[in-house]
Amino acid sequence: MDGLEVRNIRKVYGAVPVVDNVSFQAKKGQIMGILGPNGAGKTTTIRMIMGITAPDSGEIWFTNEGTKTSGVPRSTVGYLPEERGLYKEAKVMNILQFLAGLKGVGRSTAKKRALEWLKKFDLEEQANAKIEQLSKGMAQKVQFIASILHEPKFIVLDEPFSGLDPVSQDLFKAAIRNLASEGAAVLLSSHQMNIVEELCDEIFLIDKGQEVVYGDLQSIKEQYGNYRVHILGNGDIQTLASSPLVESFEQLTDTRSVLILKDKVQPAEFLRTIPAEADIKELSVTRPSLHDIFVKIAKGGLKDEGYLENR
Amino acid sequence: MKDTWKIAKWEVMRNLTNKQFIIGLLLTPVIMVVFGGLPVLLQRWNEPAVVTYYVVDELGVLPSLKAQTPDNVILEEYAEKESIEKAVQENKAAGYFLLDSGFVNTGQIELKYNERNNESITVIRTLLTRTLQNQRIQMAQIAPEQVAYLTAPAEVISVPISEADEPEAMEMLVSTVFVVLIFFLIFTSGTMLMQSALQERRDRMAEVVLSSILPSQLMQGKILGHFLLGMIQLVFWLIIGLPLVIYFIDFPVWEAISATNIPLLLFFGLLGYLLFSALFVSMGATMEDLQSAGNSQGLVIMIPMMSFLFLGPVMSNPDGTIAVFASLFPFTSPAIMIIRNAMTKVPGWQMLVSAILLLITTWVISKLAAKIFRIGMLMYGKTATIGEIVKWVRYKES
Repeated sequence: MDGLEVRNIRKVYGAVPVVDNVSFQAKKGQIMGILGPNGAGKTTTIRMIMGITAPDSGEIWFTNEGTKTSGVPRSTVGYLPEERGLYKEAKVMNILQFLAGLKGVGRSTAKKRALEWLKKFDLEEQANAKIEQLSKGMAQKVQFIASILHEPKFIVLDEPFSGLDPVSQDLFKAAIRNLASEGAAVLLSSHQMNIVEELCDEIFLIDKGQEVVYGDLQSIKEQYGNYRVHILGNGDIQTLASSPLVESFEQLTDTRSVLILKDKVQPAEFLRTIPAEADIKELSVTRPSLHDIFVKIAKGGLKDEGYLENR
Repeated sequence: MKDTWKIAKWEVMRNLTNKQFIIGLLLTPVIMVVFGGLPVLLQRWNEPAVVTYYVVDELGVLPSLKAQTPDNVILEEYAEKESIEKAVQENKAAGYFLLDSGFVNTGQIELKYNERNNESITVIRTLLTRTLQNQRIQMAQIAPEQVAYLTAPAEVISVPISEADEPEAMEMLVSTVFVVLIFFLIFTSGTMLMQSALQERRDRMAEVVLSSILPSQLMQGKILGHFLLGMIQLVFWLIIGLPLVIYFIDFPVWEAISATNIPLLLFFGLLGYLLFSALFVSMGATMEDLQSAGNSQGLVIMIPMMSFLFLGPVMSNPDGTIAVFASLFPFTSPAIMIIRNAMTKVPGWQMLVSAILLLITTWVISKLAAKIFRIGMLMYGKTATIGEIVKWVRYKES
């Protein structure tokens, strides 16, 4: 498999393990989401992958076109850190050339590629502007360009969307999808669950330094997301809610309510039990969003409710 | 090394295109001329205060005293002892004294003053000493020729025993200028280095750069870059300054340089520069800003100043214990060894021990600095405490 493979990495600061026995893969051509509440160990994990800090134990392998190396070669990785900035007094083009130069890209090649990307992000005219003259969103685009100008095989994007307007968000999303489809392995960390849901093929959820959930989005939802039945009607919701297939219910307004089905109960199973005379004007079945799952996990819900043991 | 060079080049270009740097480059010589020349001019314009003393002269020596006083000390004869104090008060004179036989006998004289003026008192003391001696010699009835013979001052002619021991004025001058330049470099580019590390951290650039190169390369690149910047400054100023020096002072620059042990200067100077810049850049990497209170790291910029504390003792006794210590102690040896070497013949073993100590210290400090730098650069948002820095240093390699 081409891409990144992380095996049992662990990092301890003082006596506290910040990352504990974490393993996952980020495959070529795919976007892998790494999620977790603040302080969960995401940044430390990313820094270990980047070779900025070394893990106390465990292995990090990277395979590019069949060649396997320990750690990711610096020239093939693109990195947009969460804590990011640019030299304020430097000019956009100079900074892009400098950073690409550190990755081994020549000045003229860097300039050509930079102009293409600046055009894509509608920043052509700012090529010779100083960073301090740019808006925050513009600077973020420049940072994004800087992280991919050397055409990396592996791209790490830590909170790339924070502070972007919706139009720019869409630009970024398209660019990220494009990079993956052109053969890069992308590791994406974000708190914006809707975007993660849209973009990521696989998800790794980390909390307190440990893996909580890992897999493709669909199977995670199957694992953790009980079906929700949204009902609009005047009928007696209590009767429906008392079904042995329903775990809990929530009355949102006089006419709207949500029934949360029990674990592993399929929608059809429940629908069959609805009496014919029930006054239902609308009915829809959804799975919880990644957002709900994340919140539940962040609050310790999964562990407290014994989810982990059930897996 | 290639990446180190890329960083160095970036630092140089970044500053050379920075207005502040250019202004500093052009303005510093102007400031130096102003601050160097102004005190001399002020001294020239400043006229000393004129002070007047009233004198009751029972010895008849006042005319000869008057002839010897400088322009700003006026001695005025007054006839009556009783009213002299009142006259002094009324006429706002500086003070008065009585020249009588009691003075000749005891050698003591009371100078009563309104306002103390130390300079004039020193002048009067010198004059009265001579008067006293002349009076007593007259009483002893010694012939004037004999007096001249008896009171002649000693004339000391210093002759070096061997050529090598002769303190070379030119070597001293070149060495001093060199030390001044090195310290200038340490302070200016040291501060800039500190700021550059701090800025990298504040602008949140560190992580991006460190995903491309090693922290040690970044640190070395910064040190190299700012060294080059410092040299650019120095060379620029020398190009302006040297012709002026040669033109106005007629100083044999090349002769002086060839009389100096240049390799020794370069060895101690460069290592000293490296030692202090490693220290500065690592401390810069632990700070969020230069101004924040309780910023004890900022104080490391004072460490090179230690050399100045030793300068006095070294100048007065270049072979004394203090001088030997200061020329061996690595944080002062760069400056002190160069100065000592110009003043005296430093024993070979001291030279060797000093060089080895300086090498080892520079190496150790660079290693520690790299450690602090690496961790510090990635700690965002706050200035690290000394305790934290010590903890980082203790972390095992990872």
